[in-house]
Amino acid sequence: MNAAYQFVTGPLAWAAWGIFLLGSAWRLVAMYRLARKKDASAIAYMSWGYSLRSIVNWLIPFNALGWRKNPAMTIATFAFHVCLIATPVFLVAHVMLWDQAFGVRYATIPDAAADGMTMLVIAACLFFAGRRLAMPDVRAITTPKDWFALAIVLAPFLTGFLAYHQAIDYDTMIVLHVVTGEIMLAAIPFTRLSHMVFAVFTRAYMGSEFGGVRHARDW
Amino acid sequence: MGIQDRLIEDVGLRRGVSRLTPEKIETVVRSVMASEAGARLKAYSETCMRCGMCAKGCHFALSHPDDPSYTPAAKVAQTMGVLLKTGGRVDPGTFYGIAQLAYTECNLCKRCVHYCPIGIDTGFIMSMVRRICHKLGVTPQYIQDTAHSHSTTFNQMWVKDDEWIDTLQWQEDEARDEFPGLRIPLDKEGAEIYYSVIAPEPKFRTQLIYQAAAIFNAAGVDWTMPSQPGWDNSDMCMFTGDFEMMGRLKRRHFESA
Ligand code: HEM
Ligand code: HEM
Ligand code: SF4
Ligand code: SF4
Repeated sequence: MNAAYQFVTGPLAWAAWGIFLLGSAWRLVAMYRLARKKDASAIAYMSWGYSLRSIVNWLIPFNALGWRKNPAMTIATFAFHVCLIATPVFLVAHVMLWDQAFGVRYATIPDAAADGMTMLVIAACLFFAGRRLAMPDVRAITTPKDWFALAIVLAPFLTGFLAYHQAIDYDTMIVLHVVTGEIMLAAIPFTRLSHMVFAVFTRAYMGSEFGGVRHARDW
Repeated sequence: MGIQDRLIEDVGLRRGVSRLTPEKIETVVRSVMASEAGARLKAYSETCMRCGMCAKGCHFALSHPDDPSYTPAAKVAQTMGVLLKTGGRVDPGTFYGIAQLAYTECNLCKRCVHYCPIGIDTGFIMSMVRRICHKLGVTPQYIQDTAHSHSTTFNQMWVKDDEWIDTLQWQEDEARDEFPGLRIPLDKEGAEIYYSVIAPEPKFRTQLIYQAAAIFNAAGVDWTMPSQPGWDNSDMCMFTGDFEMMGRLKRRHFESA
């Protein structure tokens, strides 16, 4: 078990972070090249002011029309994304690992809070799954890729939660947790999760087009 | 539920589709993908999270509350989604539905952009579908007629050059009964306002020109109207997917101004 743990937190962790960071960078560069070649008219309209204006307005809950018309989704998705990023970054157990490996330390959140945030993420995933099954509009457009993305995100939170509570065999669970966490990182550039890389740019472009061409807002 | 359950007969679409084979469709789809489609289409098709939030923004979806196949993301899935997934190899019957949807169930208004957190431009995706339809000669009859008129006369209503000038003079005459000093200045260099209309005005609602002239007259502004082709500021070719003709129209209109 120890050997397995060593392996997944050693070479496999390097591989996962490498795929995530280099993969994302490569996807961004490739997309930018394609845009330079084929979407020159779109690039010409890109503006910092209009881009930021749109992004900021979409980052405020219940500000954009889309948020106002989908209130339950707004609460779920904001809670989900904030906890999704904050929990693993500021988790005591994770920060300790950074410290052991590289001697880096930074602020942490108390375990009890992290535990609650983990449950929030799991609950939000269940909510997303529920609406994919129950709401005809969403059901009609759901594809296997969307279920896949949801499962990949749910897995590290579920296994991290079970490991923390030592519910099932801890040693197995922690290895499983690390592996699923690494799968998630590695999947970001190449699945639906790539919206993490591209969403700012699609939004920025729409903000620029609406601001610069139509003199209108896009939120 | 889906586009194939609500096909309507249109001679333009029917005749266009009758000339197609899966191979022809594939060739054109591939060539458009290789030439005109770029990063925007790619990013949109990949990052749409299928969250369905756009459904609340589209008037077609709102007016069919019990039919989820009208939501923007579902319309993309039934058109561009199919073409991307199959590489364009679809049978002509399927393509009829794709064309009907792209021309009649999304009017490219981009309202859904205000409802999509990612900023997916469904209108843009649909205009790319229409582009493919145009290149395959599958366009609805009526809109294609207006596009033909644009390519022949540079206006969408087959208004002839002399009819246009006659119409303006006629409206000027009529208006002078009511406002004796009124003029419709033509091609006045350096005027402050260049006023252009869409072709249905001279064709069907001529009094609108009279009324605009009355307003300019009362406001006492320095204005003018163009006498030459290029006076029509509408562009049906943009809507059919005829981007070559769209470019010529825009150019003529700007040169006229
Ligand atoms: C290189 C990859 C990772 C390693 C080595 C790792 C390691 C750990 C360890 C050692 C714990 C503590 C278990 C305990 O308290 O005994 C933990 C908990 C946790 N991890 Fe990770 N982790 C990794 C990736 C991730 C990722 C990618 C996520 C989520 C996006 C994640 C989310 C969590 C959560 C939410 C908990 C805590 C659960 C709770 O407190 O209820 N981890 N992880
Ligand atoms: C950091 C930048 C990110 C931005 C701007 C962003 C934005 C969005 C947006 C706008 C949606 C659309 C639907 C909704 O509102 O829920 C969404 C959905 C989603 N995001 Fe993110 N996201 C980011 C990062 C991430 C990351 C890092 C992950 C996981 C690794 C993730 C996982 C998901 C999942 C699974 C959904 C789908 C929810 C569903 O099934 O409906 N996101 N995201
Ligand atoms: S709101 Fe945007 S991301 Fe969500 S389904 Fe519609 S187009 Fe896709
Ligand atoms: S652009 Fe098309 S899909 Fe979007 S709101 Fe307008 S009609 Fe609906």
